[in-house]
Amino acid sequence: MSSFFIPILFLAVFIYGLVKKVKPYDAFTEGAKGAIPFVTTLFPFLVSIFVLTELFDKSGLSDMLVNFLAPFFKIFGVPKELCKLLLVKPFSGSGSLAVVSDIYLTYGVDSYLSRCASVIYGSSETVFYIAAVYFAKAKTKKLLTPIIISLVASFFSSVFACFICLVL
Amino acid sequence: MNLVFTLVFLASTIFLCFISPDTVLSSMLTGGEKALTLSLQVVTVYAVWLGVFEIMDRSGLSQKIAKWLKPFIRFLFGDVSKEANEYMTLNISANLLGMSGGTTPMGIKSVLALEKDKNSYYAIVMFFVINATSVQLIPSSILALRTSLGSISPSDIILPTILATLVSSIVGILLVKIFVRKK
Repeated sequence: MSSFFIPILFLAVFIYGLVKKVKPYDAFTEGAKGAIPFVTTLFPFLVSIFVLTELFDKSGLSDMLVNFLAPFFKIFGVPKELCKLLLVKPFSGSGSLAVVSDIYLTYGVDSYLSRCASVIYGSSETVFYIAAVYFAKAKTKKLLTPIIISLVASFFSSVFACFICLVL
Repeated sequence: MNLVFTLVFLASTIFLCFISPDTVLSSMLTGGEKALTLSLQVVTVYAVWLGVFEIMDRSGLSQKIAKWLKPFIRFLFGDVSKEANEYMTLNISANLLGMSGGTTPMGIKSVLALEKDKNSYYAIVMFFVINATSVQLIPSSILALRTSLGSISPSDIILPTILATLVSSIVGILLVKIFVRKK
């Protein structure tokens, strides 16, 4: 079902454009032109984020943090096996997808842990990626407040995810 | 970001000096490589979406969607400029529909448009939090992964995911409304 969604959306946009007498080729190329300068401005920020996550991971600090936080997470009903996912998710989308598939392979796709991991992955975003990328060109530098609020909200939804997967 | 970067960088590097000093540079380079791979992946995605968005823009479709969703935007962000309203609507729609390639370009444009207004800190924080708590309706990458690993019912997780994502967005919106002052 959902595989029809994007083609239908694109068709609708194109047809609407034709009705409104937009020249589709001119418009499309003009829009696409923006992509390269876009990524050039993003690149330095992506490098910083990735360098940082790589160092954090290789130094063993991330594992230490997981072990340190595990008892605290447990109080809220988050199993120890999911702590790593909770910590990786704010930094890296592809990294956390790797953690999720690791959980799938270790515990079986349809196990409670795997379903929890799926819900946690789907219900939160890479907070630091947004901070770095969305604000790459921006002047606003006071991002601590929104970062903390987002992390707290994601934590709430993760706790909720572990609970809802018990019920549903 | 400067604080986070400094703290994590110093802690990790000092640690690595004790366990294996050789890995410092090599893992930084691995990080850079990953950034380049991602950039190459996203540049094509952005090109396609920005092309489609340009057609939407010239045909007046995006302005129309922005008009429909205006009451909703006003409820969340207060009064914002017409330009910011339009970009934010597209960003939030793309978020809802899980078009991950479409969200980022419109997100950056939204932030820049918001910054043109004075006293827009509240709206910017709200916009950040809404994006960071992702209101996604169909978690497509997870569904694909579950299907490929032979799950009995891959779509089992859709309803819980929608509920959990609602929880995170509602908590986020409430926290912004409580802790950030609207000017």
